[in-house]
Amino acid sequence: MDLESLISAWEPHEDALSVDVDHLDHFYGSGDTKKQVLFDNCLKIYPGEIVIMTGPSGSGKTTLLTLIGTLRNVQQGSLRILGHELKGVNQDDSNILRKSIGFIFQAHNLFESLTAFQNVQMSTELQGIPMDTARPKIDALLTRLDLGKRIQYKPKSLSGGQKQRVAVARGLIHQPKLVLADEPTAALDAKSGREVVTIFQELAKEHKSTILIVTHDDRILDVADRIVRMEDGYICSNVLVRRNALTCKVLHGFDIFKSLTPQVISNVAEKVKLKRYAAGEVIIQQGDVGEEFFVIGMGEVDIEIDGKQIKQMGQGAFFGEKSLVENQPRSATVRARTQVACFVLSKDAFQSAIESSATFEEELRKAIFTRR
Amino acid sequence: MNSQVPLAWLNLTHDRRKLAIAIGGVAFAVILMFQQRGFNDALFESTVAIVRELDCDLILVNSSRFALSNEVRFPTSILQMVASMPGVEMTEPIFVENVAARLRRSTGPARPIRVFGINLEKRVFLDGSQDIRSQASKLRHPNSALMDRLSKSHYGFALGAQDGLPQTGELNGKAIQVVGTFENGCDFANDGNLLMSKESFSSYFGYRALDPLSVADLGIVRVARNQSVLEVAKRLRKAFEKDEVAVLTRQQFIDKEIRFWSQNTPIGPIFMVGVIIGFVVGVIICYQILANDISEHMGEFATLKAMGYTNRYFFAMVIRQAVYLAMLGFIPGLLFSLALFKLNSSLTGLIMRMTLPGAGLILVATLVMCIVSGLLALRKLLTADPASLF
Repeated sequence: MDLESLISAWEPHEDALSVDVDHLDHFYGSGDTKKQVLFDNCLKIYPGEIVIMTGPSGSGKTTLLTLIGTLRNVQQGSLRILGHELKGVNQDDSNILRKSIGFIFQAHNLFESLTAFQNVQMSTELQGIPMDTARPKIDALLTRLDLGKRIQYKPKSLSGGQKQRVAVARGLIHQPKLVLADEPTAALDAKSGREVVTIFQELAKEHKSTILIVTHDDRILDVADRIVRMEDGYICSNVLVRRNALTCKVLHGFDIFKSLTPQVISNVAEKVKLKRYAAGEVIIQQGDVGEEFFVIGMGEVDIEIDGKQIKQMGQGAFFGEKSLVENQPRSATVRARTQVACFVLSKDAFQSAIESSATFEEELRKAIFTRR
Repeated sequence: MNSQVPLAWLNLTHDRRKLAIAIGGVAFAVILMFQQRGFNDALFESTVAIVRELDCDLILVNSSRFALSNEVRFPTSILQMVASMPGVEMTEPIFVENVAARLRRSTGPARPIRVFGINLEKRVFLDGSQDIRSQASKLRHPNSALMDRLSKSHYGFALGAQDGLPQTGELNGKAIQVVGTFENGCDFANDGNLLMSKESFSSYFGYRALDPLSVADLGIVRVARNQSVLEVAKRLRKAFEKDEVAVLTRQQFIDKEIRFWSQNTPIGPIFMVGVIIGFVVGVIICYQILANDISEHMGEFATLKAMGYTNRYFFAMVIRQAVYLAMLGFIPGLLFSLALFKLNSSLTGLIMRMTLPGAGLILVATLVMCIVSGLLALRKLLTADPASLF
């Protein structure tokens, strides 16, 4: 089960990127006071991803979010959202794009003169959704956020958490393709916060919406597919955590990795790639220079030396280590017998995995020794 | 089951206290404008009030007489000739004394008053002037007169509904009895009006000429039913062009009188300045209210902008809000002004009257006032920056 989800997590995306940040720079001020706040940001996010952006204040994450949301003009570099280039976009097109975005700001900014229902209606009205369709949707969403009894109340009769939930409803009612949320759960209790992220997950799964959340709330880290960390205007890490976690879990199940610490497994998981082979395909050729280490995730392979099959290996078995450790060309040909999926570690990743774990190196040396 | 959120209306009205202040502000400006226009119109109206009551198509007057209060007369004999001209159904002289009539009730100085003398046997006034026509019989007694209810009180007469008549006084040293009242109103030249038979008039103002009634101030002409008024006027003008008599339709006479006062006194410009000041005050008050509302809700508007609401939406919203504010403020302003008009009338003797076109004009001015402030306040709204929301 895990393996299958993992393999599907490794599937190359068929959809176009929903957010494509390409060498983006941004500056505040002009002339003498010009200050660079974003440095060469690159980020690719696919539809259906839930991304958490984190980092200290001043790291540039909110600036990046405002740029993605068309709320600031792109100065340098490229930024495409939902297929549209934002550099040089005019105000009219910006406004149209904004309708595909759902904003959830930290301050709820509800109109005091409107009821909770009407505040959410401002969103459906803009989208042109007629009231007969909108009314039941708004009622349902507000009820789901535990505001069923407060639908006709005005903000002055709502608590801080309730107001924030109305703002969440307003940002999500139109099932936007891109959700930009700034601390959406900060003012909420655990139950409401969980409900909000559940809605995010449904949007991501059912509507392939992309959810970008800036938050420090570690109660909701578990829903992230990807965590992007920024510091001083740089993207210092961009990890597909979900896939990473799945990979770790699967790798940990293989003997060779069983003894590794979680930190190392995580490093390995981050650097590992999944490659798939059709039945009969050659994975490594005897005599080639060896650059990679393989662990079989799924399927069976034949080991051939000089054309003769000497061994078969299945799930959890590894090969290719000798060439990396001993710097020699491949000693055998490995051919996929069935459809095969392998975890592949590059030479550098392999080296760093060995260096960071004595047990791993030991395990490997033992295996090499016994293989002979 | 509204299909759209009435944001403009709700934002304006949901805070009762602020709404009351806003309505008060607009009403204040409305009252200012009404007051100015009211005085303006009243001053001119009072001058021609009596002329509006005349049942006539044409008025003859000495061509040098530039205003009703300017005492230049023409021979009454001319009217006898007019009577015989084709198309003329009836003609009558009207006698007016502006300068030399002094009235008092008992003690104190006698003060100037305007006196009209008319022929009681003929229908001089319109059917609608029940006041005057029904009291005609009382005027048959010599030395009796009807007094304008709106005359200043300094003459000493009590002319309220509950006051008893007749009241006796002195006109130019001679006894006079006020036997009834009518309504005309004071103006620049007159603090009061008296109406009497021409016979009585003759007895009070004998110094006018050997026969006081041989010189007339106005001559009214009624044109026969099947005749064109303008044709008859042309005919009369041609016939009497050498006699220095001007022939005007009733409306032309009224227009001429009003034009004189508006051009030769600073009244028009002064009150126009007053109206403009009222308008500017209104714009300032309204702008403060609308701009304040916008400042307090910049976050909300910035959020709408982030959602994708366009400037066109905000423009429409502000205009709508301005129009609602104008309407809500106009109504109490109008009602207060009506009350003030009554108060002013009793204090000054001017006829301050609310007319439909007059009210319509102020309504338009109020709408423009609020829309102008709205547009000025809109500039602030357009600066709401959604990027600052993060």
